Amino acid sequence: MANPIKPDKQVVTTCAYCGVGCGFKAETHQGRIVRMIPWKEGKANHGHSCIKGRFAYDYYVSDDRVTTPLIRKSIDDPWTPVSWETAIQHAASELRRVQAKYGAKSVGAVSSSRCTNEEIFLVQKLARAVMGNNNIDNCARICHSPTQFGLSATVGWGAASQHFDSIMQADVIMVVGANPTEGHPVFGSLMKRRLRQGAKLIVIDPRRTETVQSPHIRADVHLNLRPGTNVAVLDSIAHVVVREKLYNEAFVRERCEFDEFERWAAFVASDRYSPDVVGPEAGLDPDLIRKAARLYASGPNSAIYYGLGVTEHSQGSTGVMCLGNLSLACGMLGREGVGVNPLRGQGNVQGGSCLGSWPHVFSGYRFVTDDEVRSSFEQDWGVALDPEPGLRLPNMFDAAIAGNFRGMYIMGEDPVQSDPNQSHIIEAMRQMECVVIQDLFLNETSKYAHVFLPGSSSLEKDGSFTSAERRVNRVRKVVEPLAGYQDWEIVVMLMNAMGYPAKYAHAGEILDEIARLSPAYKGISFELLDRIGSAQWPCDENAPTGTEVLHREKFPRANGRGTFMLTEYVPTAERTNDKFPLLLTTGRILTQYNVGTQTRRTENNRWHSEDVLEISEHDARTRGIRDGDRVKVSSRFGSTELKAKYSERVGSGIVYTTFHHAETRINVVTSDLSDWATNCPEYKVTAVEVTKVAAEGAQKRAKSKTREEAVTA
Amino acid sequence: MLWSELRDLKDDIDYGTPPRAGPDVTLTVDGQAVTVPHGSSVMFAAAQARRNIPKLCATDTLEAWGSCRLCLVEIEGRSGFPASCTTIVSDGMAVRTQSEKLQQLRKGVLELYLSDFPAEDIEGGWSEFHDALAQCGVTSHPYEPTETHLNSPVDVSNPYFLFDPAKCIVCNRCVRACEEIQGTFALTVQGRGFDSKVAAGQDEPFFESECVSCGACVQTCPTQALVEKSLFEGEYSRG
Repeated sequence: MANPIKPDKQVVTTCAYCGVGCGFKAETHQGRIVRMIPWKEGKANHGHSCIKGRFAYDYYVSDDRVTTPLIRKSIDDPWTPVSWETAIQHAASELRRVQAKYGAKSVGAVSSSRCTNEEIFLVQKLARAVMGNNNIDNCARICHSPTQFGLSATVGWGAASQHFDSIMQADVIMVVGANPTEGHPVFGSLMKRRLRQGAKLIVIDPRRTETVQSPHIRADVHLNLRPGTNVAVLDSIAHVVVREKLYNEAFVRERCEFDEFERWAAFVASDRYSPDVVGPEAGLDPDLIRKAARLYASGPNSAIYYGLGVTEHSQGSTGVMCLGNLSLACGMLGREGVGVNPLRGQGNVQGGSCLGSWPHVFSGYRFVTDDEVRSSFEQDWGVALDPEPGLRLPNMFDAAIAGNFRGMYIMGEDPVQSDPNQSHIIEAMRQMECVVIQDLFLNETSKYAHVFLPGSSSLEKDGSFTSAERRVNRVRKVVEPLAGYQDWEIVVMLMNAMGYPAKYAHAGEILDEIARLSPAYKGISFELLDRIGSAQWPCDENAPTGTEVLHREKFPRANGRGTFMLTEYVPTAERTNDKFPLLLTTGRILTQYNVGTQTRRTENNRWHSEDVLEISEHDARTRGIRDGDRVKVSSRFGSTELKAKYSERVGSGIVYTTFHHAETRINVVTSDLSDWATNCPEYKVTAVEVTKVAAEGAQKRAKSKTREEAVTA
Repeated sequence: MLWSELRDLKDDIDYGTPPRAGPDVTLTVDGQAVTVPHGSSVMFAAAQARRNIPKLCATDTLEAWGSCRLCLVEIEGRSGFPASCTTIVSDGMAVRTQSEKLQQLRKGVLELYLSDFPAEDIEGGWSEFHDALAQCGVTSHPYEPTETHLNSPVDVSNPYFLFDPAKCIVCNRCVRACEEIQGTFALTVQGRGFDSKVAAGQDEPFFESECVSCGACVQTCPTQALVEKSLFEGEYSRG
């Protein structure tokens, strides 16, 4: 019969991939997931989906899922499978031993934006209440920490001002350093829907992405700037807005600090930021900068959406401030159809950001140095807490090499693959005496670990994710955890084994604790989410079902007013020269997700089985490189090999690749520069040279191809 | 609100055409008064009145198309049998969704569809098409075997879903989903009359076309001609 199997059960849950946070109905047949159906009542997706959420879920039953805890004495030993009890006891006693030997601050924890809110909150509690220090960080460090910093400084909160549907009211859409149709496809489709209805589109991106031109869509202005010149170009747009008096004076007077506006206006109005000066510097026609400025300012509703192309720069935080400044000056905040919105890469980057997974702040971005805030946590948790901010992730690695950091608990992260300057991190990892990894699969980082705790996928646990639109969505257990425990249960076991009595009957009780200790989440509970589907924070007695649009009446700053930051353009120290004449920038592709832990274990590999280097035909030919040749990409930091592909998406002088495959090792090449304010690495600009590799490389490639085929077969 | 067509969707109800925002319009459906926003279809109003009109080419995530001819109704004072999906409500309109003549017309339409549908899959299926058959009480057709699409090759090129033209009724829902919802414009119906068929790209296999595998076409297909491979054990085979 050609009639399909009829699923016997449906569970509504939230997609684990990007920050859009699509609702899905996971359908099972005899206990196995047979299909993911987009949920029509999902507030972000309205019944739509992309290839990742809809089809790429089989990673959860991948053959290489680890289902038994593993331990070993030294990283050179093979792993020994052990019971849960043995593994947890071993991890706890080793971490305590390290602390006894090197001090309370010699250990730390890292969580991931793939974890649920409940897990993220528990892991920071593990660091603060159990380890007794503030050495806690999360992977938003390497993507959107500048968002937190730059938006807080201008509009007060480091989060999207809108809900996704707001774009259906926008007249002008400005996309900066983001490629929604690949990175956030369901939002990309919504955006295209609005563009087909006639909204205008400005794209600021070095690459001619699909967002720039696709069927029935063409950007009205595409500023294909040289990588690293964001701040200059955004300041130049502001220059035009100020010089041509296109700003919204009534809004600025009523809602912003006017003195600061005047100071800022004088700053951007200087000739230094004239399009005639910035244009040649950024490789742009000055008139296009003017056109973009006029279009954005004219609205009437103009909305900004931006991605890692803004944040992952040495001036990442400054770039975000530029966007905050611009939207305030033009009055594009506080109603539907406008706003400044970061497109977050991972399902729970917003949750990772707002739930205290930072060395200096508790949930809700409240400082650990603040006695009043700290004492509220001390009361709830029943322990004294360290008033001194802890180490950021890159500083943990630096401290390991310096000699006073020796133990780590890492949940759902693979810093050896995803963080910049790989050789430095490996050197740091080798110094550690106890590294505990909790993950689904052995990965690059677990090569340097001593305990491996097999985690659960988001299909196997309860909790919540906070999407890029600040929406708290419920994650529900669809199937039983393969290794026996939900991730939050494992953290609780570790906390108990380390001597801290934590007890939760279910994940909802952790969310209740979050609500108790975090003002923006005050009204959020499993009960509310089950009843109304989802809620955008802030959610409290004033907004019992959450808040779709921020800043309607005032900004969440002490005086309620938005303010302007001076955003001087400081070119990155990473520059081209005779030896490294090309600029490498990085990005994502639709079918793969981040370092590929999940998608590479699915049929999605059929579309993208390796990362390739996009290069303009001109640059390739002058180097004797043919389409499809194996090439070596070298920078001041390192080199790697991959396949070259002629592309019209990049202009001369720029090369581009994705970072989904570990074999590419592109992070060996990327620079160790980072955002001045937050340490977010500068993944988007590295000076490189590209050379053709000889036959030896070709053989290597044939070999790795065979292995890939074996994996997909 | 401009976006009621997105935000007012319900998981367990298919209104047949997208929800609209607008001033109230009151009409009767099978004698029952119902009030819906201006711009709504008769099909939408009937769904609100819990009088579900059988449909195939209509779904509330897509604009009305009017091709399947199953959702015909009678409207007082109007001649003929207008399609309820493409007919917009007006104040005081009196709609009849059930009559002997309507039943006869719908049965005729479904029998024609069935005459070019794999006979062995009529029983045991659970698609919208099967629901419509059940709703109209149609289980067989009276036609002699003639030229059909039952031997058209199945496109299994995409790793996640397949397309079996034998089950396709060319309702255009997949094509419209690719355009209206996903915005990729990868699908089309090519050819005319009996030869018309759903094609990806330049009539390529799905996998080689510009299809981005978002799944919108699979989601909306009323006959499971486009269907997830994960719902079959082993290779897909007909009969």
